[in-house]
Formats: sequence, structure tokens, C-alpha cells
Amino acid sequence: MSVRAPEAVAGTARRPAVRRRRRRPGSGLVSALATVVLVVLAGAVAEVGARAGWWTPDVLPAPSDILPATAQIVAAPEFWPDALRTGTELLLSCVFGVLAGLLLGVAFWKAPGVGRVFEPYLVSFYAVPLVLFYPIAIVLIGINQWSVIVLASIMTAIPMTLNTWTGLRAIPPVYLKLAASIRCSRSQTLFRVALPAAAPYVFAGLRLGVVYALIGTVAMEFTTAQAGLGYQIRYLYESFDAVGMYAYILVIVAVSVLLTAVLEIAERLLLRRRDA
Amino acid sequence: MSGPGSGVTLDDVRVAFAARDGDGPVVAVDGVTQEIPARGFVSVVGPSGCGKSTLLSVIAGLRGATSGRVEIDGRTVSGPDRDVGVMFQEDSTLPWKNVTDNVRFPLQIARLPRTEQAARAQDAIDLVGLGGFERRYPAELSGGMRQRVALARTLAMRPSVLLMDEPFAALDQQTRLLLGAEVRRIWGETHQTVLFVTHDISEAILLSQQVWVMSYRPGTIIDVVDVDLPDDRDASVVSTPRFNELQNRIWEKLRAESMRGFAQENQVPA
Repeated sequence: MSVRAPEAVAGTARRPAVRRRRRRPGSGLVSALATVVLVVLAGAVAEVGARAGWWTPDVLPAPSDILPATAQIVAAPEFWPDALRTGTELLLSCVFGVLAGLLLGVAFWKAPGVGRVFEPYLVSFYAVPLVLFYPIAIVLIGINQWSVIVLASIMTAIPMTLNTWTGLRAIPPVYLKLAASIRCSRSQTLFRVALPAAAPYVFAGLRLGVVYALIGTVAMEFTTAQAGLGYQIRYLYESFDAVGMYAYILVIVAVSVLLTAVLEIAERLLLRRRDA
Repeated sequence: MSGPGSGVTLDDVRVAFAARDGDGPVVAVDGVTQEIPARGFVSVVGPSGCGKSTLLSVIAGLRGATSGRVEIDGRTVSGPDRDVGVMFQEDSTLPWKNVTDNVRFPLQIARLPRTEQAARAQDAIDLVGLGGFERRYPAELSGGMRQRVALARTLAMRPSVLLMDEPFAALDQQTRLLLGAEVRRIWGETHQTVLFVTHDISEAILLSQQVWVMSYRPGTIIDVVDVDLPDDRDASVVSTPRFNELQNRIWEKLRAESMRGFAQENQVPA
């Protein structure tokens, strides 16, 4: 196996350790408790610091101000067009990026020559902050949600492609011999043997890809856009509304925590009992 | 399906492939003309790298012969056939399927009716002694148990020819003896035609009716030994004089070949 895809490998190499940790009784509860304690502790420090005047409220307002503001913002009707815009961008870039990544990963596996040509570019794209190409996308597509979606899709597609490809190359050859010996068709070999066998890698790519889509979407809205949650953060920042800005930040953090949790649960359900 | 027991005929089979370092083709199998009678149990022994697995792949239709012909039940082999079951040395159980689903997989691919799938899978699982483990996943089973799953999966197809490529080579000695006895028992019940590839001489004698001894590259059959031990033999025959005679005869042939193979594989490149 090559070590040319550092992220792809890092994303997957972590897996066994996670699994082993999960098998220790009660460790889930312990880590959940630890998380709650940490969050509460951080909140308490922020609260005390703001009230005691360790910093001015423009830097970090008291959580007791941010939380009600968040509730208020989410309850207000003007919040939803922005949320919808960001949500659409996120959803579409995940769908496009994941599909493109699966397709490319499978294509590179089927045609290793083509894969070897593109691999260095894909791997080096990992190191390039693709947000840099946002001005070009704006010139080409315009200041609208499509320029965000196109770039975020690419950001999602890269880890998906590399991980799908790595996963397919890591399949034990005997699985393919088995598929041939029981006369699986090409599509049966791909969908019923090869892709399920590569699933742990594909999932690692999916988790990276979804996170990249969120980062990309919010960052691009933040720089130039006329709507979206990222745009609101920028707007509130420029109008010195620290409480409002932190409220929106909190919403985005909540979305990312939710996404990660959903993927984690889906992964556990799909891959459970696969490796003891 | 032609029912249990089809004869296998090999007619001057030769397999050559391009060498990795590019100097000329490597001849893995050469001039193999042999026959396995219907319902016969034949083992192939040979030094490692002698092309015995290649020969099996050709019979399985997973690889084409460079020249020569393979016939099963009178029909020329041109590709994999559902009537020919193959069992591999490596663990081929699919880790995302439980035991039942692993065994059912080829039946699903063959689009058998669901009730038929379930019945056949259960029969095969019971036959290899995996009853009670139906819902377990491969990760929860030992290496020997996983090979039982692979065997059950092959048997569930009810093939008339069973090709086994060193199926127990990766297991410990005790498990191997146990599974060998199981294969023998199952063969007594199902009466498929079996070709069993191994590098273990006593395993070959214990299991089969006939042993083919293969030379180092190019792999040719240098001896055919009929095993005239009682059909209901068990592991205790290893201490009989006849077993020793057979073992010595095969070892005499194999020793020279193994030495030749060892010398060639460990050659210092000029």
C-alpha cells in the first residue's frame, strides 16, 4: 500500500483504536460525561470572566447573554432563509461530492493507469486551501450559491475519491476470486463484494468529506455572499454585534456536532460486528 | 446441474505466464494429462511454487490454459461454472455478512428461490457442524470455523466438482486434522468429485484415493500414487506400515523436487 495519501490513511488508521476503546465497558458513558463536564466548565469560566470584567463583552459576551440570543434568533423568521441557504449548499455539495468521489474512486480502481496519473494532484489538493479558488469561482459562476456548491463539492470529492480508491485497492484478492468463481456479474462484484469490503475506508472518507463541505460552505459565505449563516456571522461581526455573532457561531457548531454524531451512529450501525 | 460426481479430464494442459523480471515466460504447468474419475478424491502434492494452485485455477475456469484442454463431465471448461465449487486457502468469508448470509451469498447470486436458499444454507451449515453459529459474524469465529463457513458456502451450491486449494494450510495441526476428517466424512455423504491441493503429504494420503505428485517448475505430474488404504480410515492409519510406505514413496519423489525448487528460488541474481 502506498503512503501517498496521508489524510486518507490517517482517517482510516484511527479506526481500530476507536473500536477497541468502544469495547471497554462503560467507556462511552465516561467520555460522554467528560464532554458534558468540560462544556459546563468552559461555559462557567466564560460566564465568570465576562461578569468579572476579565475581558470586555465585545470579545466574548457572557454565555447567559449568548444562549437567550441564540434561542431568539432561531425563533425569528429571518433566521430560516439563511439556514435554508446554507443547508441547501451543504446538502448539495455533500451529495455531489460523495457521488463524484465514489465514481472517481471506482474509476481509478478499474483503470489503475488513469488513477496513477491523477493521484499526485489529488493528494496535493489536500494541502491546498481550496477556498482560495473562490474568487475564480465567483468570476466564472457569479456571487450565488452555485459557486459555493461547486467548490464545496470538490472539497468533499477529494477525500471521498482517495479513500474509496484506497479501500478498493486494499480488498483481499481472494474476495474477487470468490466473486469470479460464483459468477458474479461486474456490477454484482462491485456492489455486493468490492464496495462493502471497502466500506470502512469509504466511511472514513465520508466523514472527512462532510466536514470539509461544512468548513468550505461557511468559509466561502463568510468571505463573499449575500446570504447564509456564514454571511450573517460576517455581517454581525462588522456591525459589532458580538452577542448575535456568537449566537450564529453556536448554531454552526451545533450543526457540525450533529452531523458528526449522525455519521458516527450510522457507521456503527452499518459496520457493527464486522471486526471484533 | 449434472448431479454429484462429474469426471474431470486434463488433456496436455500447459500454463505459461510472463515473468515479473521480464526474461521469458515462466512455465507453471506443463504437459499435464490426467483424469479424475467421477466421485473420485484426488490430492495434488508438490513443493511450494510448483504450479499446483495454477492447475486448480485452470480447472476452476478462473484462469485459461496456454494450451491443452480441461473437460468436466465431457464439456470443455471455458470459464467459472456454478457446478464447480472452489475453496481457497485465504479466509474468503465476507466480514459484513453473518454465517447464514455468507453461505447464502452464492445462492442469491444464482437467483435461487428464497425458500430454497434458506433450506440449502441450513443443510450446508449443519453438514459442516456450524449449527448454532448461524447469526455469528466471521470476526467472532476462529480461523478454523471461518474455513468451515467457506466450505459450507461451497457445498451449498451443491457442485458436482469440489476444488480445494490448500484450504487448511493456514490452520494449526489439530484443526487441520479435524477438518480433514470432516471433509472425508462429507465426501462420503455427498460424493462430489474432489481435487484437493496441499503441500502436506500425510494430509494427502489420509484424505484421498489417489495422490498426484507434482514437480517443481515447470509443474508436471511425476508420480501417481493410488492410496490403497481402507475407505473408512481415520487418523490412526498414520501408524500402519502401508501408510509409511506410501509416505516414503511420495517423499522420495518430492525431496529432489523441493531441493531443486529451493536452489532456484534462492539463487543469487547474477
